[in-house]
Amino acid sequence: MEIRQIAPFLFEIPRSQRADMRVPARFYADEALAAAVRADRSLEQLINTATLPGVVGYVLAMPDMHQGYGFPIGGVVATEPPEGVISPGGVGYDINCGVRLLAGRMTAREVSDHLEALASALFTDCPSGVGRGGDLRLSGAELDRVMVEGARWAVRRGLGLPEDLEHTEEGGCLEGADPAEVSERARSRGRDQMGTLGAGNHFIEVDRVERVEDEALARRFGLFPDQIVVQIHCGSRGLGHQVCTDAVNRLQKAARSFGYRLPDRELVCAPVESPEGRAYLAAMKAAANYAFANRQVLAHRIRGSFERVLAPAGIPFQLFQLYDIAHNIAKMETHEIEGRRRTLCVHRKGATRAFGPGSPELPAAFRDLGQPVLVPGSMGTSSWVLVGTADAMRQTFGSSCHGAGRMLSRHQAKRNVQGAGLRRALEEEGIRVRAGSLAGLAEEAPSAYKDVDRVVDIVHGAGIARRVARLVPLAVVKG
Amino acid sequence: MRPPAFEEVDHTADRALVVRGRSLQELFENAAFGMNRILGFRPAPGGEMQVKRIDLEAIDAESLLVCWLSELAYYAETESVGFERFEFERFSPTALSAAAFGRKAAEMEKAVKAVTYHDLAIRSEGGEFTATIVFDV
Repeated sequence: MEIRQIAPFLFEIPRSQRADMRVPARFYADEALAAAVRADRSLEQLINTATLPGVVGYVLAMPDMHQGYGFPIGGVVATEPPEGVISPGGVGYDINCGVRLLAGRMTAREVSDHLEALASALFTDCPSGVGRGGDLRLSGAELDRVMVEGARWAVRRGLGLPEDLEHTEEGGCLEGADPAEVSERARSRGRDQMGTLGAGNHFIEVDRVERVEDEALARRFGLFPDQIVVQIHCGSRGLGHQVCTDAVNRLQKAARSFGYRLPDRELVCAPVESPEGRAYLAAMKAAANYAFANRQVLAHRIRGSFERVLAPAGIPFQLFQLYDIAHNIAKMETHEIEGRRRTLCVHRKGATRAFGPGSPELPAAFRDLGQPVLVPGSMGTSSWVLVGTADAMRQTFGSSCHGAGRMLSRHQAKRNVQGAGLRRALEEEGIRVRAGSLAGLAEEAPSAYKDVDRVVDIVHGAGIARRVARLVPLAVVKG
Repeated sequence: MRPPAFEEVDHTADRALVVRGRSLQELFENAAFGMNRILGFRPAPGGEMQVKRIDLEAIDAESLLVCWLSELAYYAETESVGFERFEFERFSPTALSAAAFGRKAAEMEKAVKAVTYHDLAIRSEGGEFTATIVFDV
């Protein structure tokens, strides 16, 4: 395969690599990661996305890229109507999987004697694990409101603060969601899962700000050394999974009628402006809103846990919301391409929006800075708060990495690591672990992931996001 | 010796199975049993057998296989039921009607979020059908 390095940390596979490519494929890496990505099929999957009708500029993969299904994880693909398509596989099954970061005014030192109790309270208050529903069973009408209003629904019910919405991508609500496009099956999967974490790689983590890299920015974000912060990583649960399943099935037939020749059936798609494309976009937005509401309800529960544990000890327990971002989504956005403002459908699958300063989409508090970019690491390692940049707007349709990125399969991880041993090792490092399944814990072992510090070095070095603060874990809750 | 009815193969992000059958119908049954392995399905002792009717139509055999497994995964998630036996009343590459017999799980270790079409192709050679199926977990 012909791969050229075209800038520090940026590699390109030219369009001539394969006859069906419409644009080149680019990926961010250092030399070692560039060699490592050849070990799985992520580059082949990236090239496949370069064949999508209406694709613009180049397709991209972030340095946490790894093999997925259809699109690689870490993929960013922009298409332009009228020819441009939307592909459900370019969003993935966990629609609007994302990260929310809450931050306190208390320090790790102040809460150190209460971490065991906090971990247990979070595990009790935030339902997690396979097949685990929550205590909020939604009526059909209320589920419709969730899908239309997103996090606003939760705040209206008293499950959150109005200022949380301002600090959520899209204000926690994508306009144009249509519950009528969501199947009965998807509804039944979502009805009792509101406010639940699920299983797999989803987690709640209590962290400490270990290091501030940019003091001025950290101050504006409300971050300071030794501060307690909480990350929530989860998405739209069964409702979103079913919306994607329904769309991928429906489009198998439609893609043939559009005459598309696709290298992988998981890439099925329809023009964004076709009835099929519009129907998927409306259903995807409904699922994305469910996810915003889900993280909002979880945030409310986490605040309750903090109050219950810390208030009696006289420790400030309040948590404010720094930001909430989606990393599996497709959105209509305006970007400047070749000197012209163009409206594009930007797919981010395992990639985070990283809009730079001046973007009108950002809340007033961040508009002159760029948006917070939340990059959770693997369990037991560091995570990062970054900031979006003007370079990201020029290079990556305003996108950056979303995490560490898997290196080993879940199967391999379980062969190499025992859940009980891993839990012991994490606890010896002072990290409290509450997990529903030890086998599930083993699949998420830190050794199964790339080094997140290195991934962040690459996006920082390439200029598509800048380091603000490094977080280290104190307690992890997993399904 | 015949190769196993299903076996797990490595996939970086998710879980993948190679499934085999002496007929297309047997491939579908073995895929369901393979998915039980991924789900970590363990029936509750003494659990009563339940029956679900499944009627599906699709544009081709691959789509039908995805729909079939998605249907079973739906019951696994929403009712915590794993399936152990199937009776097919109708089976073709594009349609099936079946009774699926299953029991409540004592435990489901894993949720299958979705069954994907990624690289999915059912191959037939020397009287054996094979497919590699990637599950989003």
